[in-house]
Amino acid sequence: MAIIGEWIRRLGYLLRRRKLEDELRLEMEAHRAEMGAPPAFGNTLRLREEARDAWGWRWLDDLVQDTRFAWRMLRHSPGFALTAIVTLALGIGVNIGMFSLINGLLLRPLYPGADDVFGVHSRSTKPSGRNRAFSYPNYRDIREGTTDIFANLAASSTGFVGLDVGGGPRSTYASAVTANYFQVFAAPPAHGRAFTAEEEHPGAGIRVAIISYSLWGQRGADPDMLGRLVRINGDEFTVVGVARKGFAGTSIPGPGVWLPLGAREAFRTEDRAGRPAGAREAHELSVVGRLRPGISAETAAAALATVGRRLEQAFPSVNAGYSQVMSRPSTRLIFLPGGSGAGWALLLMLMPVIVLLVACLNLADLLLARGHVRRQELAVRSSLGGGRSRLIRQLLTEGLLLALAGGAVGLWLSTWATDALLASLGPMLPAVVTLPDVSLDWRVLLGTMAFSLVATLIFSAGPALALTRRAASADLRRHTGNEGRAPGGLRLGHALVIGQIALSLLLLASGGLFMMSVIRAATTDPGFRLDGGLIVQVDPALAGYDEARGRQAHLALLDRLRTVPGVEAVTIGSRPPFTSGGDSRKVAAVGAADAQSRSVGAVFSVVGRDYARVLRLPQLSGRDFSDAELSPGSTERVAIIDDALAEKLWPGEEALGRLIQFLDGKGLEAKQPILVVGIIPAVKHSLGNPQPYPHVYVPLGQHYASAMTLQLRVAGGSERPMLGTIARVVRDVDERLPVLSVATWRDHLNAGLDVRLQRAGAGVFSAFGGIALLLAVLGVYGVKSYVVSRRTREFGIRIALGAHPRALLWQVLREGGRITAIGIAIGLVLALGAGQFLQGILYGVNAIEPVVLVIAPLILLGASLLASYIPALRATRVDPTVALRSE
Amino acid sequence: MPRETGLPPGTLMMLVLRVLKTQPLHGYAIAQRIHLLSAEELRVEEGSLYPALQKLLVKGWVTAAWRASESGRQVREYRITPSGRRQLAAEVAEYRRMASAIGVLLDEA
Repeated sequence: MAIIGEWIRRLGYLLRRRKLEDELRLEMEAHRAEMGAPPAFGNTLRLREEARDAWGWRWLDDLVQDTRFAWRMLRHSPGFALTAIVTLALGIGVNIGMFSLINGLLLRPLYPGADDVFGVHSRSTKPSGRNRAFSYPNYRDIREGTTDIFANLAASSTGFVGLDVGGGPRSTYASAVTANYFQVFAAPPAHGRAFTAEEEHPGAGIRVAIISYSLWGQRGADPDMLGRLVRINGDEFTVVGVARKGFAGTSIPGPGVWLPLGAREAFRTEDRAGRPAGAREAHELSVVGRLRPGISAETAAAALATVGRRLEQAFPSVNAGYSQVMSRPSTRLIFLPGGSGAGWALLLMLMPVIVLLVACLNLADLLLARGHVRRQELAVRSSLGGGRSRLIRQLLTEGLLLALAGGAVGLWLSTWATDALLASLGPMLPAVVTLPDVSLDWRVLLGTMAFSLVATLIFSAGPALALTRRAASADLRRHTGNEGRAPGGLRLGHALVIGQIALSLLLLASGGLFMMSVIRAATTDPGFRLDGGLIVQVDPALAGYDEARGRQAHLALLDRLRTVPGVEAVTIGSRPPFTSGGDSRKVAAVGAADAQSRSVGAVFSVVGRDYARVLRLPQLSGRDFSDAELSPGSTERVAIIDDALAEKLWPGEEALGRLIQFLDGKGLEAKQPILVVGIIPAVKHSLGNPQPYPHVYVPLGQHYASAMTLQLRVAGGSERPMLGTIARVVRDVDERLPVLSVATWRDHLNAGLDVRLQRAGAGVFSAFGGIALLLAVLGVYGVKSYVVSRRTREFGIRIALGAHPRALLWQVLREGGRITAIGIAIGLVLALGAGQFLQGILYGVNAIEPVVLVIAPLILLGASLLASYIPALRATRVDPTVALRSE
Repeated sequence: MPRETGLPPGTLMMLVLRVLKTQPLHGYAIAQRIHLLSAEELRVEEGSLYPALQKLLVKGWVTAAWRASESGRQVREYRITPSGRRQLAAEVAEYRRMASAIGVLLDEA
């Protein structure tokens, strides 16, 4: 208590200090008058200052004073201040950018009041303890049984739909939700309304939708969006709302569109096994709820357990063994691309830190060089009684001022850059989703302050210590310009430059590896001909087509496309190369001694006729599928395999005419064995895997897959102009059919997420490497300039004694070259280490890539020699008379 | 020669509180009073008096108010607060304890 009172008094003093200080002066003058001392006797200033210190605000006065002084210093050298601020803005900016992303992904609450939102789960009481989703009736019973526990209990079910808001359908992450869904997250739609209870009811089929804010933004934030019609899997839906900005529910990325639960039929219906929507046995809903204020998690758990037991008793046929219903705090689901997510994340966090480090080293260098110029000032201050700690504090304050200015500019840069990054990310994702909100918030501001502070400590602590050490011992008589060679500060300066060069090389070489990877990916031989290839991806199930209608649609498309002028051949396949998703199977040779253990994993692809022909693959042996094999009903089971699979199943032997079998979970599939009727060459399957991967192709008739890719072969070079025609033809065949993409083979390959990621990585790394290179070159220039200016007299004497200017030029260049060489040597070691790491996540790149390891150092060497050349030239132009007189 | 340098640290604050205990006084009067009460043994310089007074204000042990002095000047008069009285009592007790302990020790020697 006493402490609080004391602080209140101190603050009161701070607020009225001018008046109170005045009073103190009057009081002390009165004191003197009483003593009878003459009024002019002595100055009370120092006494008053000592008295004032009792209030404990001395540090604030010092800070204000330091800041004012620092401000004046910087204003007097705007060139230095600008360089420093830009350097720091780049270094801090890239870190803020990365921090904003991490903040958006991991730190920022997804919705207001996230602590009160709980996910509700149902778990089997059997030892296996599996979680089960909820059916709509079960969910309704739980909701009604816990109205005094949950303010709102909502259900949702997610999936992908083909959404067309104008401009063709795009695969879109969708969520079918109950009417109260948005209330649970305290995030009502930004425009329009949420869904109604009527729309929620299963099977209601009322076609309304709420679109995401970003999707709305992509449509130019159309003010008339409400009431507009969009197509979802071919059906027309009315837009009744626009979700709140950045709203994503519980997942990252979040849905691009929300439908009422009653319109869930828009999703694929295959997995429901014929059960009507809303049946008690259709377990397909996730449940999430917001607790009423004051209700604890324990109370909720007890209530849910009761409801769970009641549900098991009431509906034993469905709910037996699922009496456990529990809740746990809602967590965020994050979908990361690829399996190497952790490696990427680590890289992404490390890179900006290295850039900041280079920036700090660079700045330390600058401060050091500037400090030598300011040595006299520091010596004067120190001899006038400025303590070393006070001088250090002064220098740190200057650093902090720079860092805060740099941080502010960096903040602006990074906001701009992350917005641009996210905007560019949207179209390259395989589906329309809602990306996390990465806009500014207090965490980012705090992060900026933290980065600025850390940067300040890194770049100004060393120089402050080094400079004041000398200032304390320096005498004023000593003059700049005649100090011995390579004093401590210069050695430190060289070390800093070496560090910058090494780190820049690390970033440059890493960027080079990314670029190699992109080049290799773009020029990779996929094992088939890309030129003259077109693809059309369709998925009839997205429009609710059953198998019979789906097959019809596939065949109709094949027939129609075959007649388009310019199309040489058409085929269809469930899993064309370089397409994610789909099926893999274990294949075994029938009759082999140990079929199970010798099974081979292979990509399972359902194809039509002419598959090899369209891909321009030679038929190695055997035949293509027959017309009869393309329709269901044929008794004979046949397959075409590639030579990679044949070689693994029957090494060195003839595979044609042999029998294969698939393995299911238990072992060999009970179905009839499959006859190998043809063999074609292997193709690569993904960029991440440079080896041709075994494939097994079965004819359309034997298996139904809804999502299919039509593959067309046209004359090389004519594929791009034909895109429009093909798209129109496809639409004419069946207007309702969801068409996911119409693209050239090459674009399809380059549009793959892994290619995009590598390209983005190459861009980011090269940009970071470029920034680091620029900083390092500036560092070399700064140090060399400084060295030359320090040695003006020496050069002058040597010129006066007849030294050839070229000799001086070479000397300066040689010294610059030496520190660069040391930096490059260290940097190469770092780059090799980074290469070891990168080869694991990049396509077709080795840790030691001679091209990269030669070119990156050469760039650095060239740039740094250029940077020393200018000061070196200055050294040769020293006028001996001026140089000698300068003493 | 009257001295003030011999005062142990913190003692001045105790002395100020002690003279204020009987009546409110202004700065010069406090110095005078200490001088008199110590049988002219102690002299308090303004250089130490005013920092001590400011510290007492920070701690809330005294309050200050302006008024006219006998000589007609505006002076700032310091007045002890209840917490100042408690502090004085505690410090006096503590000082006595220390002084007697030190005294015993010195007498033994």
